[in-house]
Amino acid sequence: MIEVNSLTKQYAGRTAVDGLTFSVEAGQCVGFLGPNGAGKSTTMRILAGYLSPTSGTARVNGFDVFHESIKARQSIGYMPENAPLYLDMRVNEYLHFRGALKGLRGRELRKRGDDVMEACGLTASKRKIIATLSKGFRQRVALADALISRPPLLILDEPSNGLDPLQMRHIRELLAELRPEQTILLSTHLLGEVEQSCDRVLLIHRGQICADDSPRNLVRKLRAATDVKLELQGQGPFDEELAKISGVRKITERKADGDWKRFTLRVEARADVRAAIFEVALQKQWHIRELHRELPSLEDVFVELTEGK
Amino acid sequence: MRILSTLFFKEIRSLFFSPVAWVVLAMVMLINGLSFHAAVAMLESGPQSQSIVALTFFSRWFWLSYFFIFPLLTMRLFAEERKMGTYETLFTAPVHTWQVVLAKFSAAMFFYCLLWLPSLGNFHLFQFMTKGATEIPQGQIIGSYLLLFFLGLFNIAAGCFASALTSNQIVAAALSFTISLLHFLLGVFVLYLGAGVPPLFQGFVHYFATVEHIPSFTNGLLDTRPLVYYSSLMIVFLALTHHVLEFRRWRL
Repeated sequence: MIEVNSLTKQYAGRTAVDGLTFSVEAGQCVGFLGPNGAGKSTTMRILAGYLSPTSGTARVNGFDVFHESIKARQSIGYMPENAPLYLDMRVNEYLHFRGALKGLRGRELRKRGDDVMEACGLTASKRKIIATLSKGFRQRVALADALISRPPLLILDEPSNGLDPLQMRHIRELLAELRPEQTILLSTHLLGEVEQSCDRVLLIHRGQICADDSPRNLVRKLRAATDVKLELQGQGPFDEELAKISGVRKITERKADGDWKRFTLRVEARADVRAAIFEVALQKQWHIRELHRELPSLEDVFVELTEGK
Repeated sequence: MRILSTLFFKEIRSLFFSPVAWVVLAMVMLINGLSFHAAVAMLESGPQSQSIVALTFFSRWFWLSYFFIFPLLTMRLFAEERKMGTYETLFTAPVHTWQVVLAKFSAAMFFYCLLWLPSLGNFHLFQFMTKGATEIPQGQIIGSYLLLFFLGLFNIAAGCFASALTSNQIVAAALSFTISLLHFLLGVFVLYLGAGVPPLFQGFVHYFATVEHIPSFTNGLLDTRPLVYYSSLMIVFLALTHHVLEFRRWRL
């Protein structure tokens, strides 16, 4: 669906995107992740045909985004950052205008308009003037606009930027509904969003891809230490015994309620000490009421990968 | 064609939903009324060698509106989209840049033509009130309004260009005002004040001095040279506008 080949974009001496190469298969949901200024928006703008690359090529749905710009644009539903809209229009007027620009006519236009307003929860506010809508609703209008012509590819630039948690969940659910067939490229700096909605993460930093994997693999591959949390009761000394288990790097102890004690063990990457802990507890006749491993979040990966460079 | 009409009606719509259009309409009607009044007053004062049409279009009042109409009508066309960021949504939709330029230009042109309709009514009202005592020469009406139309083509195209250059509407208005004013004043200065100007240059300026075109057209003489001149200028400015907008895409 998307083929990007050594794409470079320079602004007045500053390189925003530096030799980016990646491809996205039809049906994938790819999260474009990176700190602010990493080149996410620039890449998306080039794909959407708004900017031209300094060098390199990009194809969308088989069409070159520069030489066959109109055809490429017909294949894309693009939602720019901050959802710019015509504030003096009503929601349904705006969507009909946008639908007509994208080639929808007559009955089909009205039907698609109603469909996307329904899907984005805008039916009740379809007669409202966009200027009176809250940020969350404006984002929905922009998303509805991106969806209206059933484009094979959705490019969403920070779709949940500036939304409250409830609205974010709403957008996420909407994307989940589209998921199986729809190809989606979305950018964000929210890690939770990528973890929940994407099957693939492209981590981009200073205009270059520094990781390309599924969110889960990305976390697994990481050489960061994990934490194991447990709560114990019984005859001590706990920390001495726990420290004997191989792979345990550091132990912090905290008193829980009653004579329960709460431990956080920092464990070497890829070591799983949970079974060993259970063995020790069995020997010493400790009671365990909690034992679980906390996987490093994508946030840890993010910090590790971007700060390391 | 359908995309063009979609864009055109959207522009018309936002024109009428903005207060600027109504303010301009009211001011132009007021000024037209004043210039018509001036013409009638001239006729009252004694027999005139010129008709009421020529008198109206020669009054000082009339030119007052000429300079403020174009900047006010065109300043928001592109500058506002750029400021609001809707530029990005507009040009990532499958539309050609020339379609956007043409739609915005024709919408402004449409409104401009609308501005002059009430003044046409003035003449008919006058004829009706005086029970046909005054003759309204049709040729002069056609000539005057044709010239106004072609002046509009040039000035609105120049305004589009000014608006495409900036995201600030005030700057766009100032630019378009300067273009209109300079073009107009060049003729006035050279032909009426230019004692030291070489005759060759004076003869040259005759071709593009608006003040020289008015007498012939208001007398019903349709000279095709200025018409070709103004439409060529329109094409030049629309092409420039198109290039300014495309520059974003071609800049490497």
